[in-house]
Amino acid sequence: MRRRVFRLSFFFLCLGAVVSGIAQEGHPLTGTWSGDWGPTAAQRTHVTIVMNWDGKNVTGTINPGPDSVPIGSVFIDVTNWTVRIEADAKDRSGNAIHISAEGQLEDIGSYHRKITGTWRQGTAKGDFRLTRD
Amino acid sequence: MKDSRLEILAVGLGILLTASMVLAQRPFSATYDSARQVKLEGPVTRIDWVNPYAYLFIDVRDAAGTTANWAVEFGNPLDLERDGWKRNSLHVGDVVTVEGVPARGESRQAFAKSVVLTGTGKRLFVPPAVRRTSAPAAPTPRWPDGRVRLGALPGKKGYWGAASVKALVENTGVKIPMNDDGLLLNISDADRVAPFLPWAKALYLHRQRTLLKDDPLSRCLPPGGPRQFHMPNGFRFIEQRELGRLLVLLGGGDRNWRIIYADGRPVGQAAEAVLSYYGTSVGRWDGDTLVVDSVGFNERFWLTSGGLPHTEALHLTERFSRPDFNTLKYEVTVDDPRTYTRAWTGGWTIQWVPDKDIEEYFCEDNAESTFIR
Repeated sequence: MRRRVFRLSFFFLCLGAVVSGIAQEGHPLTGTWSGDWGPTAAQRTHVTIVMNWDGKNVTGTINPGPDSVPIGSVFIDVTNWTVRIEADAKDRSGNAIHISAEGQLEDIGSYHRKITGTWRQGTAKGDFRLTRD
Repeated sequence: MKDSRLEILAVGLGILLTASMVLAQRPFSATYDSARQVKLEGPVTRIDWVNPYAYLFIDVRDAAGTTANWAVEFGNPLDLERDGWKRNSLHVGDVVTVEGVPARGESRQAFAKSVVLTGTGKRLFVPPAVRRTSAPAAPTPRWPDGRVRLGALPGKKGYWGAASVKALVENTGVKIPMNDDGLLLNISDADRVAPFLPWAKALYLHRQRTLLKDDPLSRCLPPGGPRQFHMPNGFRFIEQRELGRLLVLLGGGDRNWRIIYADGRPVGQAAEAVLSYYGTSVGRWDGDTLVVDSVGFNERFWLTSGGLPHTEALHLTERFSRPDFNTLKYEVTVDDPRTYTRAWTGGWTIQWVPDKDIEEYFCEDNAESTFIR
């Protein structure tokens, strides 16, 4: 029985991996993006961003879950595929903190397109790299 | 147990490898540089007679005496066999002269315009002078109650084949020059293709400028939306009137199928549907025209060759009519307010292929692993 469960689990894992290779060909920002940001290569903080194009605006959430942060605004310049994401969060002490991420959308034809750029969170600043899942 | 896991691991890796190998069929424009010509001569070392493209490999010696192996694409095996050619029409060791279009970049690959046996001068893999003929002119076929038949007559064969145009564009009465892949000859014509929102136009232009290299069809994904009626291997209607539905059987796209419900049910809402390549379709007859509303499309396909984008908000209204026996008129209204500034309409006609069934076609890879050298 355990073997069967294992086989089935592995099959669906493989299937999932195959299916995840299928592109999303609509608005380039729509989807789930994951990656990290930080001031140095050693100091990184994981980030997940979910975005959706509703026909007028790109809306979304940073780190969906108990500590999620609603995205305030997303600006995309389609002439050069630059992106700016703004959000207001709270730090561990409950103080308001502003998040601003400005980056370049790369390889937009690829399923695993990327956004790289500069992440500012309060007074901290670093680079970020997000890949569409 | 340990061996079993290894076995499963091997199977799993096999699935992943297979999936990655499917990523190889490119639009012609993305693969070949039509602005250049190449002439090759040498002995055949291998023949790869596999859908969707047949290849022969030849050893070509250059002026310095160095021999290099070239891969030459020369057609679709189904078409070649239909024209009377077979895998053994050419043999390993035969010396051939090939004139064709070289691939972009540095790969030793070409698309053959002609293949000639050097010793005899015999031309290979050319279509016969008279290839396929349409059925004789005849009026629109009808059911006993007078309704138009979209499929074959009882006891007869036939299917809908070639479309009159290669890509969907807004029907404004002005012809927009483009090649068979849907690549605009003049990129400034983009505004005449469809009423894009800014992001959609930018994405369309990106796809055009990158020669359609990211076309999902090149990864053997289904031709969703209107593109299903552009596929070279045609399609059939199966009208199941007693069940209140029509089936569309697609020759391209790995024998996909689609159901159009015509039993009076209401048109669904996109949010209710499980998103798919062909959407959820409801049809009704308006005189001699079948009108089909479809919603529930996923975003994993391009609406047409050339790279028109869409979103999950897409609503298609298709109108099918058969003005005579040999002609299907297809008109589609694209309504996707997240992609286009307004609804717009395009269409084309499709010719009847008489007395034949759709031939089996599966999109499969026979290129990528070959050209990694």
